[in-house]
Amino acid sequence: MLSCAARLVRAQIQSKPTACWVVAARGYADIVDEATFTTNEYALHKLDEGPSQTVTVTRDDALKYYRQMQTIRRMETAAGNLYKSKVIRGFCHLYSGQEACAVGMEAALTPDDHVITAYRAHGWTYTRGVPPVNILAELTGRKTGCAKGKGGSMHMYGKNFYGGNGIVGAQVPLGAGIALALKYTGSNNVCVALYGDGAANQGQVFETYNMAKLWDLPVIFVCENNGYGMGTAVERASASTDYYTRGDYVPGIRADGMDVLAVREATRFAAEWCRSGKGPMLLEVATYRYHGHSMSDPGTTYRPREEIQEMRKTRDPITGLREKLISANIATAEEMKQIDLDVRAEIDKAVEQAKTDPELPVEEMYTDIFVDEPPFKVRGTNPFMYGMSK
Amino acid sequence: MASSVLWRTLGVAPIKLHMPALSPTMEEGTIISWLKKEGDPIAAGDPLCEIETDKATLTMDADDDGVMAKILVPGNTKNVRINELIALMVAEGEDHTQVDIPTETGTPSAAVDTPADAPVPTATENSSSSELSSMRHVAGGKGHVDLSPAVRYLVDSNGLDAATIVPTGPHGRLLKGSRRQEAVAPTTPSAPTPVAAPPPPPPPVTHPAVPPAAAEEDEFVDIPHTSMRRVIAKRLTQSKTTVPHAYSSIDCEMDSVLRLRKQLQGSGVKVSVNDFIIKAVGQALKTVPEVNAQWMGEAVQLLSNVDISVAVATDKGLITPIVTDVPSRGLQNISETVKELAGRARIGKLLPQEYQGGTFSVSNLGMFGISQFSAIINPPQSCIMAIGGSRVLVEPTEDGHTTKTVMTVTLCSDSRVVDDALASTFLENFKENLENPFKAALL
Repeated sequence: MLSCAARLVRAQIQSKPTACWVVAARGYADIVDEATFTTNEYALHKLDEGPSQTVTVTRDDALKYYRQMQTIRRMETAAGNLYKSKVIRGFCHLYSGQEACAVGMEAALTPDDHVITAYRAHGWTYTRGVPPVNILAELTGRKTGCAKGKGGSMHMYGKNFYGGNGIVGAQVPLGAGIALALKYTGSNNVCVALYGDGAANQGQVFETYNMAKLWDLPVIFVCENNGYGMGTAVERASASTDYYTRGDYVPGIRADGMDVLAVREATRFAAEWCRSGKGPMLLEVATYRYHGHSMSDPGTTYRPREEIQEMRKTRDPITGLREKLISANIATAEEMKQIDLDVRAEIDKAVEQAKTDPELPVEEMYTDIFVDEPPFKVRGTNPFMYGMSK
Repeated sequence: MASSVLWRTLGVAPIKLHMPALSPTMEEGTIISWLKKEGDPIAAGDPLCEIETDKATLTMDADDDGVMAKILVPGNTKNVRINELIALMVAEGEDHTQVDIPTETGTPSAAVDTPADAPVPTATENSSSSELSSMRHVAGGKGHVDLSPAVRYLVDSNGLDAATIVPTGPHGRLLKGSRRQEAVAPTTPSAPTPVAAPPPPPPPVTHPAVPPAAAEEDEFVDIPHTSMRRVIAKRLTQSKTTVPHAYSSIDCEMDSVLRLRKQLQGSGVKVSVNDFIIKAVGQALKTVPEVNAQWMGEAVQLLSNVDISVAVATDKGLITPIVTDVPSRGLQNISETVKELAGRARIGKLLPQEYQGGTFSVSNLGMFGISQFSAIINPPQSCIMAIGGSRVLVEPTEDGHTTKTVMTVTLCSDSRVVDDALASTFLENFKENLENPFKAALL
């Protein structure tokens, strides 16, 4: 037992030289229940006041965020490996590096709020409540996938989560439509419509700003600015890279997308604004993705490898949160290491299940066409093939 | 307590690194070089090795932090299949020298039995194909045969049963070609040998070559193929399309032959003009032996015996019985032989060796009034001589005119063996023989 503890301490010292004396001296009695941090400044557009730079987080919440981000990270890594071994085919867009956006925003929303995003959707599917095993099974095309294996990477759905949309920028008008429905039915909920820096230049996005502002729809437009639209850097794509100002008459905030607490605070502010009937809000989260645009893009042909390494070392959201929590005594390094291992085991198990679960039978090809329609004959892939819808 | 890693007294559990498929079409690649040595620390995102794919050279990046423990497939290795285990890593802080090297090296995709049993995340990815399903293979079986529209049309219009046809397409699909396998069965007789002449079916299969009872007011009538016609068709097509035919014609004065023939007739010997021609050809072949040859795969084979196939028209089709060793036979002998063979040919009683073989063919349509025609070579022979009918020409002379009887002969030759120059030489010889029959006979 003692030798194990000593090995543990030695291991920790090897990885975190500066914190070694803290680790050696800490006991569980020093852990606090809540801590306060200061975030980076928010940039504001057409707003007098913005979200608070002073953020408070409880221990439970902090560990929950950490666990969620780590789950997303491991799940995306696993998806990448499955893709490289050709178990997943087709498209696969990974969210690694942007975890703080999904986790932070979800922290400020309720399960009754609605979310719609683009194709980089695995992280959001998870935070919206779909277990990783169902996400991975959907990627490998099995029955247990969240869309029965029929959708794949870009068409995952959950409760109050509308996917998963392949066409660039198409989901933004849909998001405003959802918000219209929410306002129309008198609910107090908001809709979060996410898009990327590449989609921010699409025409329908501006048409949506207009309608949302005109009718005061409770929609939070979120631009996940990861610096590159596929392979084009934002400076080469947009005349104005201040995406939070692009809404013009829609007030905007820019927050640091690699800091989960900043994202949460900004989303809280935006959600309150929308719920109070003041109309839409535009939130830009400045984040970064480590992998390429999709699995067919190595990600190193349009940006230097050193840039990616730099971001990983200095601004990684998971590492950033870990350091904050340890330095504020909210959690111990062992706890977080344990969470890491638990998450790894959970994802490994999910990967196994995703590889071995059964696929859908051929009859399922003809189902899920309409809602509430009695069974009818559906033509198959040639004029001689027919099946029955259920 | 903490991680299970700490309790392991055997080696350190490795993080396995497999050969990635860096492009959707990649099946195998080359590891060009390793960018990390054993013992090097690895940070997530670090490049581990350079891999050359079917399209480009890309790097394989690390997913986790750790230490490189063991490189199993060294740099400069070609043809590494995807999913092969190429290296092992250990987590940060572990002793990389203590890593557990798994015994299953090589292509896990080969040893695909129980994918879900392995405790460590394994690379038996292709094992998922054992679960493959319903969605992936939709081909035939169970009575429901999947047919493409073209195949379905052929099956229906010919009244065939799709289930009895041997599928030759991928995934057991029927193709238009596989239909034919079923239809070929009884026709070609056992003559896969290099046959010179189109062989008739040995036991004459009496296919009723009668127009079928087609409907009363049809615009057409189908005459089903007899096996003989099928074979003739096949051989003719094969000859015309694969052998480069060259044609040379020459006019021969037939007066001497006709005179001689009359004389012999007077003595009671009945010979026809055709027999003279056969004899003349035989002699020419002895003088120009390069024409009595066959094109073989590696060489032109000069044949020593001169066997001439004589074309005979029967109501079942054209047959060419062979007159063997023509130069050694006299005119009368040739005449009798040809008559006898032709007679038997017309009633279908030729033995196979009497129509298979031959080194040169002669076909005479003069008696039908044809002035000149070209024929199709019977492979593997290299020539066929097409004899036309005789016509009378009037030539002016100093004091009036003379007439002469002229016949056009066309030599159709395989220009790989008998080109135009050689054909000209041969035809000159032949003409010489025909116009001076005595000379040819005596010398």
